[in-house]
Amino acid sequence: MFHLLRISLSALFFVAALAQSDRSHGEVDFNRDIRPLFADRCLHCHGPDEEKREGEYRLDIREGAFAVLDDHRAIVPGDVEASALIERITSEDEDERMPPADSKRTLSAEEIDLLRRWVAEGAKWDLHWSFRPAERPEAPQVTDQSWPRDEIDQFVLARLEAEGLEPGAEADRERLIRRLSFDLTGLPPTLAEIDAFLTDERPDAYGHLVDRLLASPRYGERMASLWLDAARYSDTYGYQVDRDRRVWPWRDWVIGAFNDNMPYDLFIQNQLAGDLFPDATKEQILATTFNRLHPQKTEGGSIPEEFQNEYVADRVQTLGTAVLGLAFECCRCHDHKSDPITQNDFYQLSAFFNNIDEFGLYSYSTDSVPTPTLRLPTQEQEKELSKAKQAVAEQVACAEGLETEQRQAFEKWLHSSERDQALKSTEPISGQVAHLDFGGTAPHGAKSIPGQVGKGVQLSGDDPINTQVGDFRRYDPFTISLWMRTPDEKKRAVIFHRSLGWTDAGSRGYELLLEEGKLSAALIHFWPGNAIRIRTQEKMTPGAWVHVAMVYDGSSSADGLQLYLDGAPAPVDVVRDCLSKEISGKDGDRIKIGARDRDRGFSDGGLDEFEVYTRQLSPMEIDALAGGTQLSAALEKSADALSAAEREALWQFYRLSLDPVHKESLASLREARKAEADVHDLVAEIMVMQELPDRRPAFFLTRGVYHLRAREVKPETPAVFLPLPKKTPRNRLSLARWLTDGDHPLTARVAVNRFWQMLFGEGLVRTPEDFGSQGEMPTHPQLLDYLSNDFVDHNWDVKHLLKKIVQSATYRQSSEVTSELLEQDPENQLLARASRYQLPAEMLRDAALYAGGLLVERIGGPPAKPYEVAVSFKPVDHDKGEGLFRRSVYTYWKRTGPAPVMMALDASKRDVCRVRRSRTSSPLQALVLLNDPQFVEAGRHLSEKLLHEHGTSDTGVLAAMFRTLTGRRPTEAELAVVEKLYQQQVAYFADHQQQAERYLTTGESAYDDTLPCSPVERLAAHSVVAASLLNYEGFTMKR
Amino acid sequence: MAIHNSKCEPVQVKSRRRMLKQLGIGFGGIATAGMLGRSAPVEASGGILSATHHLPRARRVIFLFQSGGPSQMDTFDYKPELNAKHGTQLPAEVRMGQRLTAMSGNQTSLPLVGSPFKFQQHGESGIWMSELLPHMAKVADELCVIKSVHTDAINHGPAVTLVQTGSQFPGRPSIGGWISYGLGAENEDLPPFVVMVTKDKGGQPLVSRLWGSGFLPSKNQGVRFRSGKDPILYLGNPSGIDPQTRQRMLTALRDLHEMQIEKGANPEIENKISQYDLAFRMQSSVPEATRIEDEPEHVLKKYGEDVRNPGSYAANCLLARRLAERDVRFIQLYHQGWDQHGNLVKSLSRQCQETDQPTAALLSDLKERGLLEDTLVVWGGEFGRTNYCQGKLRNDNFGRDHHPRCFTMWMAGGGVKGGINYGKTGPLCYNIAENPVHVFDIQATLMHLLGIDHERLTFKYQGRHFRLTDVGGKVVHPILA
Repeated sequence: MFHLLRISLSALFFVAALAQSDRSHGEVDFNRDIRPLFADRCLHCHGPDEEKREGEYRLDIREGAFAVLDDHRAIVPGDVEASALIERITSEDEDERMPPADSKRTLSAEEIDLLRRWVAEGAKWDLHWSFRPAERPEAPQVTDQSWPRDEIDQFVLARLEAEGLEPGAEADRERLIRRLSFDLTGLPPTLAEIDAFLTDERPDAYGHLVDRLLASPRYGERMASLWLDAARYSDTYGYQVDRDRRVWPWRDWVIGAFNDNMPYDLFIQNQLAGDLFPDATKEQILATTFNRLHPQKTEGGSIPEEFQNEYVADRVQTLGTAVLGLAFECCRCHDHKSDPITQNDFYQLSAFFNNIDEFGLYSYSTDSVPTPTLRLPTQEQEKELSKAKQAVAEQVACAEGLETEQRQAFEKWLHSSERDQALKSTEPISGQVAHLDFGGTAPHGAKSIPGQVGKGVQLSGDDPINTQVGDFRRYDPFTISLWMRTPDEKKRAVIFHRSLGWTDAGSRGYELLLEEGKLSAALIHFWPGNAIRIRTQEKMTPGAWVHVAMVYDGSSSADGLQLYLDGAPAPVDVVRDCLSKEISGKDGDRIKIGARDRDRGFSDGGLDEFEVYTRQLSPMEIDALAGGTQLSAALEKSADALSAAEREALWQFYRLSLDPVHKESLASLREARKAEADVHDLVAEIMVMQELPDRRPAFFLTRGVYHLRAREVKPETPAVFLPLPKKTPRNRLSLARWLTDGDHPLTARVAVNRFWQMLFGEGLVRTPEDFGSQGEMPTHPQLLDYLSNDFVDHNWDVKHLLKKIVQSATYRQSSEVTSELLEQDPENQLLARASRYQLPAEMLRDAALYAGGLLVERIGGPPAKPYEVAVSFKPVDHDKGEGLFRRSVYTYWKRTGPAPVMMALDASKRDVCRVRRSRTSSPLQALVLLNDPQFVEAGRHLSEKLLHEHGTSDTGVLAAMFRTLTGRRPTEAELAVVEKLYQQQVAYFADHQQQAERYLTTGESAYDDTLPCSPVERLAAHSVVAASLLNYEGFTMKR
Repeated sequence: MAIHNSKCEPVQVKSRRRMLKQLGIGFGGIATAGMLGRSAPVEASGGILSATHHLPRARRVIFLFQSGGPSQMDTFDYKPELNAKHGTQLPAEVRMGQRLTAMSGNQTSLPLVGSPFKFQQHGESGIWMSELLPHMAKVADELCVIKSVHTDAINHGPAVTLVQTGSQFPGRPSIGGWISYGLGAENEDLPPFVVMVTKDKGGQPLVSRLWGSGFLPSKNQGVRFRSGKDPILYLGNPSGIDPQTRQRMLTALRDLHEMQIEKGANPEIENKISQYDLAFRMQSSVPEATRIEDEPEHVLKKYGEDVRNPGSYAANCLLARRLAERDVRFIQLYHQGWDQHGNLVKSLSRQCQETDQPTAALLSDLKERGLLEDTLVVWGGEFGRTNYCQGKLRNDNFGRDHHPRCFTMWMAGGGVKGGINYGKTGPLCYNIAENPVHVFDIQATLMHLLGIDHERLTFKYQGRHFRLTDVGGKVVHPILA
């Protein structure tokens, strides 16, 4: 067995099976009673954080707590008097007493008593429960043998019996089917389904029902809506500008994964590292979008490293909360105060997540998807693409096939008189579209200096020189030639660029820069993950005029991009070679020289003879531009006198500049490339994870500040757990497998706890986001361990786990509660009843729409925009038609102004990972349920539906309405209440037809004016009753 | 939750409104400072603190947030030396290698720009203000001008989030959220935390997390009052539903709910009933509170013509006073457009013109009603602006970039000294020369004035006791009255 714990388990003792609710009696339990006290009051100064530790005494680990200090010991097991710790916490002397007054932490008399008793009882010390592997406890013996249906119930009942309590009665079938339908599918049962269940006499009617619900595709939607909170899913980037982003294919992946019952370990592995599986499928890569769902930034002036660092930290923190149930927020800046997680652990863990080709800002001026991305072509695009690729390949082959023929033509030309003409006509070289010689007045901001030919200019670095040319696409060959002189070794300087901006545009376009003194040429869709860049190996010599040419052949590959220095090809390093999308923006497709907004310009740089050509020039032509004579010399020589090298160079010249056949072939190739690019540019992309070939260095950051790099760190798992085996590669896949190893003490427990929480309203650990020493202890530790092992033993089968839990007698209990029990166990920690609480936001809205048949059920697709998005803080137009009535899991989520109805109903904001929603009750919720047009419209649709079914029987309509919304038949008294309201409203609307008409026209859908025997006032009055019942606890509460 | 500090007597939070009622004075009545009584505790409110940590000096806060970063040296921080050095380069010994934004950080030249606006001293206190603030000049003696505020963030998103939530990154509760959580509502018919944003202002976008509740229960999030017909989302009845119908619906609901209670203990339903009652009361209390038309002509005039335009800063200022009168605990205004990267002269003049008169009117209006005594008014943005020019310095036009190292905020009323300056910047207005005040200190002081020890109002989440001021914050004692 692969033990995950490094800390010796020898010192463990087993906690009493049952936690006691009254702590003044019975044995003190270290993990339950003492550790939280230490964590809360002491570890701030006596914890794992070395920097903050006072007097070298530490209380987070056993060795520290019991250490001999000078002449005394803080804790002497069994001897209260000799224990300095007790002396210090009870000292009369304010300077001596712990915790110190200025810490604003105090110990109550009861707490001091606990500590005293703990020492007296032998000061037993135990590793924090959640860091120990889950045990395999036997289900305890219970007195009442009739109640338990399975082990879950034995664990629960044992605790109840110890408290002298009895479990609650089983809820009736109406309640059970409603509870189960909501819990497993997020929607209530229909009347037909209720009736079928009530009359199902099969012995396992309940099991059949559970199976039916788990098999429903609605199950995936229900489960996904929880995971979206943990994954901080949002349809926009967040932060401040908060543009839309297209990440919904990932959301659909999640729904599919739940519906396919993907084992939970694989669910986690795919999302953390799907791209790293051998032969990863598109779906597996898509799963990794999970790591890119954090907020992203584009605000002007932001520093990319700062936010890239933030993204990586968010990935680690999300992993911590969602998978491990541990808070990693603290240890980003310092060692954890109370848990054995260090700052070093944080940065080692973050090193797993920083190894992708990303940039800290997304593009403000373009819609480039931040790299790395996965392309998601439609089937049709797939077909078109392969056709287009084929066409490009054919053109390339065709051009190559022509070479023999062309060489013959070249030989003929060599010996012909045309060659003389070429000699005469090489001035100017063909294809020139611009030539700035700076002979006149210097452009604004620049000054005239003696140049390479006549006058040149010296640039300010702040004022760009504009040109009127440069609108090249990535399939267009081009050449740009210039003379330059750098005054010093520039760290960074823009020589020229054609782009909408630098970081504000993801650098989209092409550019020539000085970087660390070297020339760097690039064509970019989104820097750095979708671009080609080459950089000279040598630095430019300051003070010298150098001729530079950037030559591109239209191939979208680094091979097709060259830099020439003084007429000769420069040795270059390929920095990136991954351009696959357009390099042009909306406008601004003109070359600018010497400066770029917010970038560093070529200050005091010299420039002369700036020329632009719409073709790839041959080496001899570039030599000529650099003042060389190779071309003219070669042209002057007789064919026989040419050296082999000259002949080859001349052939290049002939081919690229003169040969009409090649020209035509290039034009066809360009067309083919353009056709391919046009399809490519339309293919949707999504942000995913893709490992860089060479590991990008990761650093330990002092106080978490992005530029305070203390030292480099390598990817490693937190030291408190057993490490990854030595030979395992340090990548996300290894990390994901390590996390989902069956013996990992946390992953399964954390998952099981969340599924429990989804069914009971609260987890067995009530702080699902914190299993550390500051979190709450499990109410039923052994049950949690039992279920975790069962989950792993059943191959992390989520549906199996859910079925097991919902089939228990514990789950089936009624939610009725006596005042005595309520007083004894207000938070239902003992589980002597089912919990009742308001349905989550999604269920409230979906159930209302579903009741009246308004809900449009279709799985997946782009986000839907219901009415409420038009009244959010950042309003957008709502949809027309079915987009208004999709399930809420599809509701468009804008981080800076989320759907306001969802927010009022306690949905999570999805800025950061959350695994628990707050449940509040506010008047704003009442206003939404009473007045939001979609609830009004839903009530009307329900009334229309029932009027069709029940015709003239108002009582029939009302009774069915009550039952549809609450899942049970009304009592006579209840029916009387709704009938009274109905009668009042019919009378009112009869007198106020206009009001009725107005009420019925709320919402986009037209009301049904073809109802038999139904004047407007009947429909309106029933709709008012329905709208009222949508506010009734029988509808809004899960019971 | 409340930990009693032996040194300070805990003081229970008292409802001004209730007291006024006891005294037979309604909303519109005039209460003097003496009547507010500073010592007599009455009863606890709906917050987590059963009592404040110490004697509160303010019962409510109006935070006039000026989003974008107002230029300190063109409004409050008079710098004749900077004017004298206009056009010369920012000296390296002043900049000290500190980071600039990626907007001007790559500029070859960083010329200093003096303020083109005339400055004068005002009031008995002689507080300096530029000609852009003629109305504020008249209330100079109410102001405690803090010239040495500084922040950690250099761009809007993080900086605004820091001022409003105590962290540069999303996820934490806002100041108002903390106050609502700690002290609850004083007027149970209105939300304790109300947010108003000047409508139709462009500029740096605001986001709703700035008034969010983070990990606190979501009922503590700010309720944004809209300028349209429904000040609160879905406050009004749907069309076709008149108040009688609504009343009948609620009666039927109550009847049904009471039948459930009869069947057994059910605190959730009891709570639900009370929330529906409150929602119903809000349907009248909110429109009543927001009915500016009720104000007499001379009051409207005081705030300026713009007050008649719903959603304008002037209208929001007047609403802020009405809400303060009705004991809303935390009233947060946002006014965008202070981001003068270019075209400063014209653009800053317009900003000041929009806000000067209403802000001054709010102060004097509060004062006339005796409300300034226990209402803390805070004015400021997320950072200041550079003393050097962003882009090209031209004769008629220039801009200033973001500057986190020093900027001006002011406070007035509720427990702070009026007519004083606190803190000093260097002669070129780049660094702080004296008494630095971090935004955490502003937050700590704000809480202190409300009777809260910022280190003790905490919320345990993910194993940590979070607080508004993170790990910082010192109360600025010298400015306390």
